[in-house]
Amino acid sequence: MTNDPRRWWRDLDEALDTPEFREALAREFPAGAAALPEGLTRRSFVRLLGASIALAGIGGCFERPRERILPYVSDQPESTPGLGRHYATSMTLGGYATGLLVESHAGRPTKIEGNPDHPASLGAAGVYEQGSILQLYDPQRARGARIGRAGTGWPDVAALLSPERLEPVVGRRGTGLRLLLEPSASPLVAELLGRVGERYPEAQAHFYSPLDSRESDHASVAAFGRALRPLYSFRSADVVLALDADFLAGLPFSLRYARDFADRRRIAAPTDAMNRLYVVEPGLSVTGGIADHRLRARAVDVEPLARAVLRGVLAIRGGHVLPPAVASAVGDGEPAETPHRGWIEALARDLAAHAGRTIVIAGERQPARVHLIAHLLNAALGNVGRTVRYIDAPILEAGAPSHDLPALIAAMRGGAVRALVVFDGNPLYAAPADLDIAAAFRRVPRTVYLGLYENETARACGTFVPALHYLEAWADGCACDGTASLVQPLLAPLYGGKTEAELMAALLGQPDAAAHALLQDLWRGRLTGSDFAGAWDEALQRGVIAGTAAPDVAPAWRWGDVGSVLEDRPAAREAGLEVVLDQDARVYDGRFANNPWLQELPDPITKLTWGNAALLSPATAAHLGVTAGDLVDLNRGGLTVRVAAFLLPGHGDDSVSLRLGYGRGQGGEAVAEGVGANAYRLLESGMSHFGGLVVSIARGAGGAPLRERLASTQSHWRLEGRPIAMRAALDEYRRNPAFAASENGRVLSLYEPPAGGGDQWAMVIDLATCTGCSACVVACQAENNIPVVGKQGVLDGREMQWLRIDRYFEGNIENPAVLMQPMLCQHCEKAPCEYVCPVSATLHSPDGLNEMVYNRCIGTRFCSNNCPYKVRRFNWFDYNAEIAETERMVKNPDVTVRGRGVMEKCTFCVQRIREAQIAAGIEGAATREVRTACQQACPTRAITFGSLNDTGSDLVRRRAEPRRYAALHELGTEPRVQYLAGITNPNPAMPNDDGGE
Amino acid sequence: MPSLFSRSSNRTIRLTLGIVLAAAVGIPILSMIWVRTPAVTGQHSSPPQPIPFDHRIHVTGLQIDCRYCHSSVEHTANAGLPATSVCVPCHSQVWRDGPLFAPVRRSLATGRPIPWQRVNALPDYVYFNHAIHVHKGVGCETCHGRVDRMARVEQAAPLTMSWCLDCHRGPERQIRPVEQVTTMGWRSSRPQAVLGPELARRYGVSALTHCTTCHR
Repeated sequence: MTNDPRRWWRDLDEALDTPEFREALAREFPAGAAALPEGLTRRSFVRLLGASIALAGIGGCFERPRERILPYVSDQPESTPGLGRHYATSMTLGGYATGLLVESHAGRPTKIEGNPDHPASLGAAGVYEQGSILQLYDPQRARGARIGRAGTGWPDVAALLSPERLEPVVGRRGTGLRLLLEPSASPLVAELLGRVGERYPEAQAHFYSPLDSRESDHASVAAFGRALRPLYSFRSADVVLALDADFLAGLPFSLRYARDFADRRRIAAPTDAMNRLYVVEPGLSVTGGIADHRLRARAVDVEPLARAVLRGVLAIRGGHVLPPAVASAVGDGEPAETPHRGWIEALARDLAAHAGRTIVIAGERQPARVHLIAHLLNAALGNVGRTVRYIDAPILEAGAPSHDLPALIAAMRGGAVRALVVFDGNPLYAAPADLDIAAAFRRVPRTVYLGLYENETARACGTFVPALHYLEAWADGCACDGTASLVQPLLAPLYGGKTEAELMAALLGQPDAAAHALLQDLWRGRLTGSDFAGAWDEALQRGVIAGTAAPDVAPAWRWGDVGSVLEDRPAAREAGLEVVLDQDARVYDGRFANNPWLQELPDPITKLTWGNAALLSPATAAHLGVTAGDLVDLNRGGLTVRVAAFLLPGHGDDSVSLRLGYGRGQGGEAVAEGVGANAYRLLESGMSHFGGLVVSIARGAGGAPLRERLASTQSHWRLEGRPIAMRAALDEYRRNPAFAASENGRVLSLYEPPAGGGDQWAMVIDLATCTGCSACVVACQAENNIPVVGKQGVLDGREMQWLRIDRYFEGNIENPAVLMQPMLCQHCEKAPCEYVCPVSATLHSPDGLNEMVYNRCIGTRFCSNNCPYKVRRFNWFDYNAEIAETERMVKNPDVTVRGRGVMEKCTFCVQRIREAQIAAGIEGAATREVRTACQQACPTRAITFGSLNDTGSDLVRRRAEPRRYAALHELGTEPRVQYLAGITNPNPAMPNDDGGE
Repeated sequence: MPSLFSRSSNRTIRLTLGIVLAAAVGIPILSMIWVRTPAVTGQHSSPPQPIPFDHRIHVTGLQIDCRYCHSSVEHTANAGLPATSVCVPCHSQVWRDGPLFAPVRRSLATGRPIPWQRVNALPDYVYFNHAIHVHKGVGCETCHGRVDRMARVEQAAPLTMSWCLDCHRGPERQIRPVEQVTTMGWRSSRPQAVLGPELARRYGVSALTHCTTCHR
């Protein structure tokens, strides 16, 4: 049973019960939370205090400042002050679009939500999508075009790019012209690239993104002769094997995959069936965290393991499912002694037993051979056409040599490139370090960059044009399954700028072509229906263009090529350390590094904020003599980077993970500057995102190790080892459905039970489907105007997020199980905070909310002291006063912006509840469905919200499940937030999971 | 030994103590009274407006309904101030050229809004919703006073929290039939003690005094 609280722990200090942990337990706030900011002594503080009291007294004597009201000049049908509206648009990331609904108040977008009609969203929105709205208002975005150092306007830049001026430089046929784009699936970009190709037949377009899925495309070109993209139907899969693939959080289609995966994991009754997930990975990913079985292996060892799985499956299913040549290529020359033999045999048997209802998915960074093995496994298991289908890759020129950056760099160095136009991306920062891309840029006489910021790439380019944010621009995009959608602007450009399409039109000699007109011209021929205006409006309104999903392709295997690729096996397995470069769950590839929300969002696994760290297992750290916080020098074939070490339980041994996107250098992005270490310095061209490594401890002058404090929130807000996180295996649950029953039901109490009529709001959170992806945390931050406090603030324990996700480990330190638990105000019916507030600033509403009244709060913090869940946050400083004018525009007008000295916490999105009640009051109907921001964003629908008296609602149904429990039930707080204990589905035939040996 | 202090110093000390005590009690009490006076609440204040718009002419004289200009009052939290273009249909025919109308002409010509001064201001942490109030039978007049008699709009109510609660604790004392919401000077033919509870039942009005009714 998992009810033994001692089995659950959150960090190493806690697992080992160190003195540091015992001291931290005894504190209400982490050490330093109440400390004064630096440079302020106690005396000067008292002096300031006196002065501010005196000033406050004087301030009251003056008349209130008069406000002005500025009505519109003419009626604006699209904007009614006081009314939020939603518009459909889409955001492109990693080349693929995700459909969104953007809430807009009086013409300013304030919140991003998923579009339920879009196949990549289904109503959910991820961390990146929701964070991107703050980027729109970033005061550090570039504001003006320039040529050389001199600021200029668009006409001058357009003239520079016009055929008349460009032809003398690049030649009549464009021999010297190169375009560098990010991988794109936009029909408009494809069309305009085609037109540029007609105008300059010898010009070439190149595509680069550090997270490009090149290996996957190479594999499908080898297997099928063309770039196909596999699409998975997790809804039909009973058994899933992820080979170093973080499909629940790290792929362009992850929101959709997470929804489908969770639908098979959400069991209403103990008799329900549930899927099973196996993960082989070097680090510890979000997907690995929810896995039923996780095998820790170096990234380089994934391939031999995958081969072993394929051999095992073939042995069971019979060799006939694959041609003999291929089957022998898989098995040839493999050592008889395979590590983890028992694990792999059990896995192969499980896969074979569920043939046709399984999925094998390979990670983007794994070499093409691993992708090929995944294709073969899916074919051998009969999954193709059932759980796996193929479409032509929607990305332009996928798998073609134009996705190869070194070819472009070589041409630039050779002097063949006379003019280079760079569209978005930041290649100067994110290119492999050994290419010396800066030198190559210097060899090109004319370089033009279209970007959001005056970043590293902008500095290397002679001409700069500010780009439009997608919320200001007209464009289009394609989802992973080929569904096209339009991008429509929510507001006029804040700082001016151009889109990709407009810059391409300038190359064609149309400097005045607007993106809107270009887009309409393209879609006029493609939208079905006789009435273009009607079809256009419908496409804008729905956010998807109906009937554009790509058709399935029956893959035609080229067995000969497959065999030869598989025979080209890597050198035998070498012992030694490797580094693994990871997409970051917060700043992606570095493009969101200037986004304070995302910098302060705790990483789903490490709970690190503001920066990255070298993640390594405790065993590897002990072997290297590294302790947590030591600065280490990572050296990969002469490329080095210095970064702080972070000991992560469950991380693979002999592997060091480093997240990409940090360590931004000089540029216009002041928030990002100097935060973390730049992992791209370890990226080699032609090499994968992992490889051999030497680690040495950085030492200062005296020989003492250099250290850095990492801002991790994992040890803040401790819960003293009580049974708070609960989980059981599926067969335990079936044997004893009421295993959590001791933690629910009424507790004897002196306090009156609350009145129960009308709406009675409550929430249920399903720990079986929570992946910890943290989309809810960003949703809450955006919806409720939560400020950021900065790295020092987090180090001092002052983070403000109302909703945190506690990440618990269970079991041994080397390969623990992981359980995620969103923790927010529990809205206790008998709330301890309410009894101790001396000014009645926190009270209970008749509909079951624990209310927080900011204007009454005097900041005693008694409530936080008395809160057993530690979910109250205190405004130690006036964080909202320091933000830029543009950043104020993102604030939700329906929620108070709190000032200094005020306590705050989750309100159950009371603004949404009251809005719904008011709407119902006007219509004279019952309150319609209310959805909280966290619930709305959740890709797996782990959060359910509603009224206890609304019988027949999802909430009431889920609260009746036997695995429901209340956190800290024995205190008798009767929380309105209740949890459904996590359920795992381990394979009974599996030997002990241990990636170590 | 002669006394160190004269006899009169006793009186001085008593007097001083008395003043200190009176101040300690009186200053808080007086300040609490002071903040409730119109001087602080702004009740009866009527800031000068860019155009001397006279509600008497428009409401009493021309019988224009409140909602012609304050058009979003039934749908959104804000009653809404009319766009400049709302003035145009009538004022392209009458009072078109006078100097008083210059700000309207300027606004139309430049596309810049008319900068009205806010009269009824609530703190930013108060979320008042017009729509629900007019749908539940709270008349415009109940909070805004006899606007039809105002040459220049003034703040009729103190807009303090206790003033809000006066009604929120017993809404049946103030509500009227929904059809009469915009009527100025409406008088019920039946006593409010009978009509109020009946309307409250019909409209589903109850006393809402929990904090998040207004503070979010």
